[in-house]
Amino acid sequence: MKTLPILGLLILTLFSCQKGEVISPNNYTCNFNFEDSSQTHPRRSKYQAQIDNMTQKGGVVGVSMSVQDQDGLWLGSSGKADLYNNIDLMPCHITRVGSTVKMYTATLILKLQEEGKLNLDQKIAEHLSGDVIKRIKNAEKATIRQLLQHSSGIYNYIQSAQFQTASINNLIKEWHAEDLLQYAYDKPAYFEPEVDIRYSNTNYILLGLLIEKIEGKALYQVFEEKIFQPLNLKYTSFAGKNPVPSNIIRGYIDLYSNLQVIESTYYSGWDYYTADGGLISNPYDMTVFFKALMAGKIIKTASLQAMLSWRVPKEQDPEFYPIQYGLGIFRMETPRGLAYFHSGDAIGYYANMLYFPEDGTTVVYAVNSNYGKIDHAVSTKNAMEKIILVTKK
Amino acid sequence: MSKFLGICFSFLPLLILGQGNKLIPINLSFFNEATAIPFTQAFSTPIHPGLQIGTEFNLKSKPTARLFQTANLSYFYHHRLNHGISVFSELGYEQRLKSGPAFSALFGLGYLHTFATAEEFSFQDGQYLNKNDRGNARLLASLAFDVGFYLKKDQPNSPKIFLRYQSWLEYPYSPGFIPLMTHTNLHVGTQFFLTKKNLQQ
Repeated sequence: MKTLPILGLLILTLFSCQKGEVISPNNYTCNFNFEDSSQTHPRRSKYQAQIDNMTQKGGVVGVSMSVQDQDGLWLGSSGKADLYNNIDLMPCHITRVGSTVKMYTATLILKLQEEGKLNLDQKIAEHLSGDVIKRIKNAEKATIRQLLQHSSGIYNYIQSAQFQTASINNLIKEWHAEDLLQYAYDKPAYFEPEVDIRYSNTNYILLGLLIEKIEGKALYQVFEEKIFQPLNLKYTSFAGKNPVPSNIIRGYIDLYSNLQVIESTYYSGWDYYTADGGLISNPYDMTVFFKALMAGKIIKTASLQAMLSWRVPKEQDPEFYPIQYGLGIFRMETPRGLAYFHSGDAIGYYANMLYFPEDGTTVVYAVNSNYGKIDHAVSTKNAMEKIILVTKK
Repeated sequence: MSKFLGICFSFLPLLILGQGNKLIPINLSFFNEATAIPFTQAFSTPIHPGLQIGTEFNLKSKPTARLFQTANLSYFYHHRLNHGISVFSELGYEQRLKSGPAFSALFGLGYLHTFATAEEFSFQDGQYLNKNDRGNARLLASLAFDVGFYLKKDQPNSPKIFLRYQSWLEYPYSPGFIPLMTHTNLHVGTQFFLTKKNLQQ
């Protein structure tokens, strides 16, 4: 019987708490090589107070924000990039911005159409074959446009309880498109294509495969060549090239909704290689992209009009603004006015990019913590409203 | 946390010794824990190791079947997420064949206390501080099926080896995000008998 306490001690010795990773502050060094108007912007104090409120009262670990309006560009940050190494967050730091990539993916598809390599009204099955078409309901019938607009009815793999438990079971697994699509195999479609609108990450995984098939290159290369390099987005990359860059800010999750966070930097492995997530950037680069897109500098006017052709889903989230779906972009009426936007989540990260066409303002914010109580300060309707109202003149 | 585990590990000998001079069945198993939807897969990787020790007593018994109650102490370590210690009891039914094989079904309820495996930072006075993890209280409910084999098939107190598939629910899990979590444990274990004299040595 004396063996029992020894057994207990052995267990404790074997499985003691893992310490954080020691990272030199130099690792996070970054800077912008341009003059911004952050120090002279007339609403700089309001903006800074808003993000300080998110970190000091809302429990957000770190937030960086960019506001580009008629008075210039304001860049700011609050909180920590790395709690274990006590690194302050800076606006130039790179972070994971999840599904905001869908706007970039849609832009890429529209560029490929402009190059004559595809047509939005072609069926995806004209380009792809095998299990991804045969075993995903509606994949044989859906067009590229329907995938872009989430009107394909194709099942969202993220909704699969088997996927959710499997991803938690192996938090550092790196998932490729085929691994993820298996969770959509043989699942009933939500509706016949074109009948309704329902958000599905599976649509954008298929679009990523389409881009790779047409271009004959890895997705990250196509993003680099067609979007990042032409716009000089120095702080933007697709995770497929380097899933966890050494200078990426640490992510944190409030899993048990008690504002006790653990690090989750390496837990977004389902978000690295597919076109439904996987973007690494910062609010400044995202602002450059969104502004250029809306100004017609990346795709032609006709393509932009196609992107901004809206459809309304039959069911709306009662806890959020009613939204309309474009191609890789959403539209909503807010108390600040009409907004085009896309937000994105990864494990421990959240970002949101908004453009207000009535006054041409772009607002982008990114945080390195989510779930639990933190979401109330970051991604709920109330949280978003506070952030966007502060940017109103 | 060490104090908490110490209390838990000291509980089991008391439970066993409380059974007087009878032969005391001891169930000892090693298992692989997984977050998974029950009955969708038997074995998963990576291996999240666990250890369970317990005893049981018969409520009703016949030569080929019995209804029994268990008392268990269990520990698992889920890499990069959490580790937990649980105290739980199961109501079990076993059907035993004369040639040695036995089949059981067990339904259990208990208490689970989990701790983060990574350092935890707590939000206090507007900032995050590194703080000792006091863990999280959980309820667990389990349903298990096992296949066993009695090594001395003619003896009622024969040692047994078993393979057990246990599915269990952890509640609450992540309020507002994942209300409850389903787990599976695949056990490889043995049942053997001790007397009070053995236990006191």
